This record gives sequence, structure tokens and C-alpha cells, in this order.
Amino acid sequence: MNEYLIRKAIAADIPFLADVVIASEKGMSDRLSFTTLFNKSEEETKKLIIQMFEEEIDGCELSLSSFIVTEFEGKPVSGSGAWIECFHENMQSGILKSNLISYTFGKESIEYLKTKSHIVKDVLIDREPMTLQLEYFHIKDEHLGKGLDAALMERIEQNALAEYPELKKVQCQIFKNSVFSIKILLRHGFKIVGSYKSGNEEIFDYLPYNEKLLMEKILKTD
Amino acid sequence: MDRPLIIEKLTRIFRTVFNDEAIVLRDDLTANDVANWDSLTHMMMIGEVEKDFSVKFKLKELGKLEDVKSLIDLIESKVGGQRLL
Repeated sequence: MNEYLIRKAIAADIPFLADVVIASEKGMSDRLSFTTLFNKSEEETKKLIIQMFEEEIDGCELSLSSFIVTEFEGKPVSGSGAWIECFHENMQSGILKSNLISYTFGKESIEYLKTKSHIVKDVLIDREPMTLQLEYFHIKDEHLGKGLDAALMERIEQNALAEYPELKKVQCQIFKNSVFSIKILLRHGFKIVGSYKSGNEEIFDYLPYNEKLLMEKILKTD
Repeated sequence: MDRPLIIEKLTRIFRTVFNDEAIVLRDDLTANDVANWDSLTHMMMIGEVEKDFSVKFKLKELGKLEDVKSLIDLIESKVGGQRLL
């Protein structure tokens, strides 16, 4: 592990973080919701994700400040995003992200979304205020199996507890077909606490899977 | 600027987007108070407001929207003096 440097993400990491978002969003599929729901190509989407990161809005999954990066031989090899929901009286992260998308993607994309939103609404899960929300956890294939996942998970929790010592739990929303990631989360003490499934078969054209799991790890009890 | 007219148009948008004909706008109404106000419908609501009022919000402005009053104030500041109908 000594050859790895884990650090907070900086502006120069943004193109890499856009790749992390795209890879994590696709999960075990080739479907990227930013393209399927907003009628954009993957190339356009990457540019728009970069723009959203550059806005530096804190408190959601598209905030530069939410991410840590692992460097190997001077190059980023992993990116992980986590933030405390509604911390510092922030708005709900979903609203912050929606503001970013509304502003960046433009009205044609939002008009397109209007025709598709009914397909995906059943797998939307509310985020619990003042919990650590883990989203976008990606390690390049050649660096898997080297203990990075455990080190990253520990760092994410340490960083959050340093900022908010009363933090009680970490939550993660994950598609049920992301079996590898689910296995990692279970190994790190997460439990499945909820399941949100859509009966609309069309969902497979837009999202990686038709069922999302809510996983949770208790850090501290009252 | 006719604030009641803004509220009337905004009420129509809210009732359509959030699929609830019973919604009555009040100054302190937030996403927490409306059942269908989630990340998807928020985008649609902003899109409808921009379209119906022919305005474009800055990201900084969207980030300051704490409740319905702040949204009405923002619309009013953008369409000041503009004829709506």
C-alpha cells in the first residue's frame, strides 16, 4: 500500500473524476443515465460532467469537495465520492445535483427527461440528512485486489468523522446487479436495509438495472 | 410587477409538475413539504418556470432558492415590468 497516495481531489483531477462518474454510473451495464435520460452522447456527457464539477457546488455527488483520489506513480487510479447529507444547512443533495443538471444540460435535455421520468421514479431513494452518503466508488481494474478498497473506505469515514464527530451512519445506494461492489460493501460492514424496484421493463433501456438497494453501515449508536 | 399573476402561473406549474391539484403556494413551502418534489421533478419544475416565464436562471441564483418565496422573488426580479399575458 505504500506506493499509493490517497488525497483530496483537486481541480486537475476533474477529467479523471468525470471518468469515475461515468464508470460508476454504468456499473455492470453499458447504460449511462446521463445519456439515456437527457438524450446526450457519452462524449457530450463527459464535457457536461466536467462543467458541473467546475462549478464547485459543495454537498452532492458532483462536488469536487466530495471526492478523494488515489495516486499511483503520479497518476490517479481511483476516485471515491462521499458527503454528509444536508451538512452546514446545505440543501438536499438531490436538489443541488438537479440545479447543476438543469443549468448545465439545457432545456432540450430537461424536456426530454420529462418524457422519461416516469420510467425511473420508482428507484429514486431519499437521502437521510446528516448521514454520510457514499457514491461513485471506482478503482481502475489493474489496482483491484491490493487492499485499496479497505484503505479508501477507512479514509472516507475518518474524513467525515473529523468533520462531524456525531456522525452515526454511512449509506450507499447501489443497483442490485453491481454484485462486485455489493460484496465489497458487505465485507466492510454494510447491510442491505432497503430495496426499491421498478416493474416497468422499459427501465432496462435507461438504467443499469430495475432494482436499487439501500445499504447502510452503523458507525455509532446512541 | 404583478406578483399575484406570478403566483397564479407558478401554482399551475407546481400542480402539474408535482401532480397534485391541491397544492397551495405559501412563502415557506419547500421540497420537504411536497410529496412529489424530488430530484427529477425539481429539474422539471425549474425547466417549466424558465419556459413559462421566459427566463434563464444562473446557478448561483438556483443555489439560493430556499423556499417558494425566494423563487417568487427571483422570478419577480427577472420579469419586472414584463407583460405576462
